[in-house]
Amino acid sequence: MGEEKDLLSSLVLELRRGTLVLSVLCQLGEEKYGYALVQSMEEKGVSIDPNTLYPLLRRLEKQGLLESSWETGGSKPRKYYRRTRQGDEILQELKRQWRQMSAGIDTLLKEDEV
Amino acid sequence: MNQKEQELMERYIYQVVRRLPRDQQDEVAMELRELIGDMYEERGGMEDVLRELGDPAEFAGKYRSSAQYLIGPAYYDTYLWFLKVVLLCTAVPVVIAAVVNGVLEADGAFPAAAATFAIRGITEGLLSLFSCCISVVGGVTILFAILERKQVKIEQKARRQWQVQDLGDNFSAPHWTPRMLSPLPHPKARISRSDSVVGIVFIAVFCALLIFAPHFFSVILHGDSVQMVPVFNLEEWDRILPLFILTMAVGLADEVFRLVNGRYCTRVMVCNIVCSAVQLVLSAVVLKVLPLWNPRFVQQLQQAQSLSGKHAAEFLSLWDPAWASNILLAIFVLVTLLEVATTVYKTLRYGAER
Repeated sequence: MGEEKDLLSSLVLELRRGTLVLSVLCQLGEEKYGYALVQSMEEKGVSIDPNTLYPLLRRLEKQGLLESSWETGGSKPRKYYRRTRQGDEILQELKRQWRQMSAGIDTLLKEDEV
Repeated sequence: MNQKEQELMERYIYQVVRRLPRDQQDEVAMELRELIGDMYEERGGMEDVLRELGDPAEFAGKYRSSAQYLIGPAYYDTYLWFLKVVLLCTAVPVVIAAVVNGVLEADGAFPAAAATFAIRGITEGLLSLFSCCISVVGGVTILFAILERKQVKIEQKARRQWQVQDLGDNFSAPHWTPRMLSPLPHPKARISRSDSVVGIVFIAVFCALLIFAPHFFSVILHGDSVQMVPVFNLEEWDRILPLFILTMAVGLADEVFRLVNGRYCTRVMVCNIVCSAVQLVLSAVVLKVLPLWNPRFVQQLQQAQSLSGKHAAEFLSLWDPAWASNILLAIFVLVTLLEVATTVYKTLRYGAER
């Protein structure tokens, strides 16, 4: 039983991993700092572990989809991220792909239910 | 955040950061200070926060973008296969050497002592087998890990045909296209992997024995004690061995080339003809020019014979080094020509590019 549970959770993890970039990119039209992003996504029902998000943000920045700036004015230094123009373009394309994919998969799933 | 919690946080950050490349350490540390601070304000307990973030080693792993494996899927199959062949090439000579040494030591001893010798032989054999195999696995693994890191291409893909799509800036154009599939070889033009492997292993074993244990090629006489009379001229071995090895290496190159191509085709045929010609010349030199045979073979045998009875009398009357060379050379020429003929026939008949 435990094995089955492990398998399920690893499959769910894999399923979610593919959607992470899309969800993060679409939230960063305006600049946000990391933990604010965790919270806002959680409120909307998409949870993401901070220890996944932070490395992901760095990676997306390295790939040129996000840009960051340190704000040192507040009580502690904060790193704010926002989408670049290239990020905007990629997001549009990803969105399109996602809609197509999810519509397709929906059709498949409904077929199974009948 | 009190002093103790602050200290805990810094310890955690250090454990993450020390696993990252130096140029990223400072910035990641700042990011983590921000993150942990934010989480702490929400949760109110440092230990809870750190527990949620989990093992710092895993956290650091997510920051590292480079591959976290030694040998990836692109190389894994080749790696496994190569490892098996090399292991076989190592294990067989080691086992042969251990068995022959064991027999030589045990022979002529008292039965009780023979058992001791046997046990010692087996133990030593297993030990050297084990250590040799470990070294081989290590060496091959390191080699492939380097290939993986450097992204060296092992399997040569056929050169890509020029296509109209090459003009467009279609960035999603695949690197691999069905056009790169080589045509199906005629069933009779296929070179089976196992045949090549048998050839390669045989060459490797023979080479290993020639290098490490030329005295194994001996006439062994049983008497009160074991007498070994080497067939080869071990005093001149330094001159003979390199040529022997070179001949073998040429044969090995040919086998490997066949294996890589996997089918009879013009390339394989040309390679086979060239390698065979070189091998024939080299073996003629080894057999006819160099002093290959033990010049005191007859005397040594006679000496041994006087100790051990009249075993070799008939053999001695027949022994003639020049004859032995001629016969061996004739056999080798025959086998080589047969192989070349087969290759040429199969290439011309079945191997044409269709």
